[in-house]
Amino acid sequence: MSPFVEECRREWDRLGVPDLLADEMATELEADLAEAEADGVSAAEIVGESDPRRFAATWASERGLVSEPAPPKRRRRVWPWVVVAAVFLVLLLSWLALQTLGTSHASSGRPVQVRRPRITVPNVIGMRACPAEKVALDAGLIVRHVPSRRCGARVIGQWPAPGRMVPQPHGPRYTVRLRLRRAKR
Amino acid sequence: MRRMAAESRRSQMLRGVLDLCLLAVVIDEPAYGYEMTRRLRERGLSTVGEGSIYPLLGRLEREGLVATHREASDGGPPRKYYSASPSGRRALNEGVRAWRDVRGEVDAVLATLEAEVTG
Repeated sequence: MSPFVEECRREWDRLGVPDLLADEMATELEADLAEAEADGVSAAEIVGESDPRRFAATWASERGLVSEPAPPKRRRRVWPWVVVAAVFLVLLLSWLALQTLGTSHASSGRPVQVRRPRITVPNVIGMRACPAEKVALDAGLIVRHVPSRRCGARVIGQWPAPGRMVPQPHGPRYTVRLRLRRAKR
Repeated sequence: MRRMAAESRRSQMLRGVLDLCLLAVVIDEPAYGYEMTRRLRERGLSTVGEGSIYPLLGRLEREGLVATHREASDGGPPRKYYSASPSGRRALNEGVRAWRDVRGEVDAVLATLEAEVTG
């Protein structure tokens, strides 16, 4: 007996179709399907239904062998795939959203690499200490404070060297240090 | 999609007259299920749409429109033969008349569209 007919037979059993009639229908169907197959006609063309249970129930119901109506035809199972696709899409979008947020969080957590403007260290060698301090300050540098008592001292050296490009100061590293010599009286 | 819709319409239209077709192919000579399918094919009805002839044969049997008997087959199990019962013959005659009336009425309505549809 073919699997389709076996399934029908089981359904007729389940529905309470008397054995004699169930056997009769199963035999009839089996013989017809075998002959159709020999003719090259598919079983689907003969039974017109892919669901054996529904087919069996409809047949039995139409013959008046069962009171139970045939189960509603199962629609082609498109919706599970639609659901799977939708879930996948939601997961994908969520993952992308998390990735994007993670990236933005990560980038906001990291110190921002902003390239500060660079300035050229002016040459203050030879100048008096206080004017030199002013020149350096005007250039945007930090200068170690020159006490007023040494205002007249002459600058004989500086660090960083004149003409060097340094980032705009943000700490002691770029503080200009002046080497002063006491002014001659 | 359009093809599916066309098949569905065809199937629905057939549903109302397939019992007449089955009675028609056994009016002169009994036949078993698959043989009836074969006769339908020979007369141009290659597919019967959704469903199958078996539930319909079951209904015809229940309503007494077909008579059945078993006949031995060559080497295989005995086959169940269907033939039109007297009430089946009457039902067929009435059904054919009704079908022709409906077909004529529908044709009359649709004929006005023929030029448009075929043009």
